[in-house]
Amino acid sequence: MSLLAVQFAPFPQITREALPLLPKTLVEWLLAGFGAPEWLVLIAGFLVAAATVVGVFAGGFALLSLVERKTLARAQNRIGPNRAGWFGILQPVADGIKMLTKEDIVPAKAEKLLHLLAPIMIVVPSILALGVIPYGREWIPVPLELGLLFFFAVGAMTEVSIFMAGWASGSKFPMLGAMRAISQMVSYELPLMICALGVVMVSGTLSLPDIVDKQGGFHLGFIPAWNLFTPWGLVAGLLFYVCSIAEANRCPFDLPEGESEIVAGHMTEYSGFKYALFFMGEYLGLFAISGLGITLFLGGWQAPLPGLDFVPSWIWFFAKLCAVIFSFLWIRATFPRVRIDQLMRFAWLCMIPMALLTLPAAAIWHFTGRGFLSWVVTVPLLLIPWVIITVIYNKRLAPTLRTYHFAE
Amino acid sequence: MIPLLILTPLILLAALGAVWKARPVHAALLLALTLALNAILYLVLSADFIGLIQFMVYVGAVAVLIVFSLLITRPGDEAEEIARRPRSLVTGLACSLPVLAVMLFIVSRFENAGQAVADARSVSIEQLGTTLFTTHAPAVMAVGVLLTAVMIGAALFAREPGKKTQTPSDS
Repeated sequence: MSLLAVQFAPFPQITREALPLLPKTLVEWLLAGFGAPEWLVLIAGFLVAAATVVGVFAGGFALLSLVERKTLARAQNRIGPNRAGWFGILQPVADGIKMLTKEDIVPAKAEKLLHLLAPIMIVVPSILALGVIPYGREWIPVPLELGLLFFFAVGAMTEVSIFMAGWASGSKFPMLGAMRAISQMVSYELPLMICALGVVMVSGTLSLPDIVDKQGGFHLGFIPAWNLFTPWGLVAGLLFYVCSIAEANRCPFDLPEGESEIVAGHMTEYSGFKYALFFMGEYLGLFAISGLGITLFLGGWQAPLPGLDFVPSWIWFFAKLCAVIFSFLWIRATFPRVRIDQLMRFAWLCMIPMALLTLPAAAIWHFTGRGFLSWVVTVPLLLIPWVIITVIYNKRLAPTLRTYHFAE
Repeated sequence: MIPLLILTPLILLAALGAVWKARPVHAALLLALTLALNAILYLVLSADFIGLIQFMVYVGAVAVLIVFSLLITRPGDEAEEIARRPRSLVTGLACSLPVLAVMLFIVSRFENAGQAVADARSVSIEQLGTTLFTTHAPAVMAVGVLLTAVMIGAALFAREPGKKTQTPSDS
């Protein structure tokens, strides 16, 4: 019996920090025990590590679809889904079964191949982007040296796939939705990247784990040394937050799929599981961009107060993620949708000038020693233009009331 | 070597498709594919930075720009496009053959090019930045001036003549 001859090494010690790596360690240990070749162990380890990330966030997607409906219901004084399971906890399962068993309709005028490829191509970049984010001190799926660049590079694929979805459907609403989505994403990607650039300048690295490491420690013993708690970081972080809402196509910037205007935008002609894939891509993208924001500005997996290090770092990361996602839900429940001209105007006249200003502010912050002097110099540098831009925007450039030619 | 053997035919096929497809949208998407495959080629050659930048700029910006401009223009007649092909072929060859000749000439002047590639160590991002902003600073500044001029030009074009501020109700 060959099975009796297998030699198992003692199982490696699993610390609380490395708990999310348990599946990977387990598979590697099992394969090594059965005498698998080294390359097989390596590949299997990578695959299981990737599957862990995908599994966690696919579960998060299912959970979020329920939490979002429940939160919106609470905000609108309704009950929300409460029939499937205790407090509607089985609602995502019911939705999934419904999506899987629905008929897959492809319009007669559609480009079959592109129509099929688009939903797949929208999920892939989100998953790739999730791979480079450091979730914990030891849980870093792919520690790339150019992690931030990789994140934005794969994010660029989303626009092409949205275009493919809109164009291949061969009807008007998807096309309009795709045009809106692309113009919005191109406009808001610019300030998003500029905001991230400030962090890169101050940290001196493009590697996301290193950026988190640079934010360790505390000022005055209790204020965490996160990038958010610096003048330029506060401005850049807030801009990043607004841009990430726009990038994720969420309310109040959900024009590409404004239900009351263009049905569902580029997803209109999709049904069944392809439609579910679009939703999955969107939510995974939301997780990814929130995770990047947390990594850049909220200190990644760092604990918010000294002495809280006994809690594993990945729990802190996911606690921050939950808080950020909840704020997105809250905003969706609170604000009405903006108009397309308001959206573009806001991006080009407010967001981009302010984002550009954070760059000199970050440079000055870096070269004046990050102390009292830096505060004195950078706060006016950011505050005065902000006041000026706000006043000018509100007085002169704000969109005037629109007269509806067809509604009079 | 094996990744190159798989990638190069794919790149060539995608590029030929981009030229040959009569529908502009198909051509644009194939162009995007060509550029993306080129980015992967750079990654395979362990030029990570240029590969990711290629992806970000060409797939994320240039291809999207082309596609977007296709959306807001009227689609042309496909039959007309196909009828124009013989003439296009002559023009295309006239343009591309000199470029190919120059490239072959440059490549032929490299001695032991394969060895040089094999010897090249992976350049860190810091080295790249230092070289770019010290040795090649004038070139970077020239490109910066050029891009600023382009941006101002684009803003001028976008502005409608004889109109100070746009009102949303007219646009």
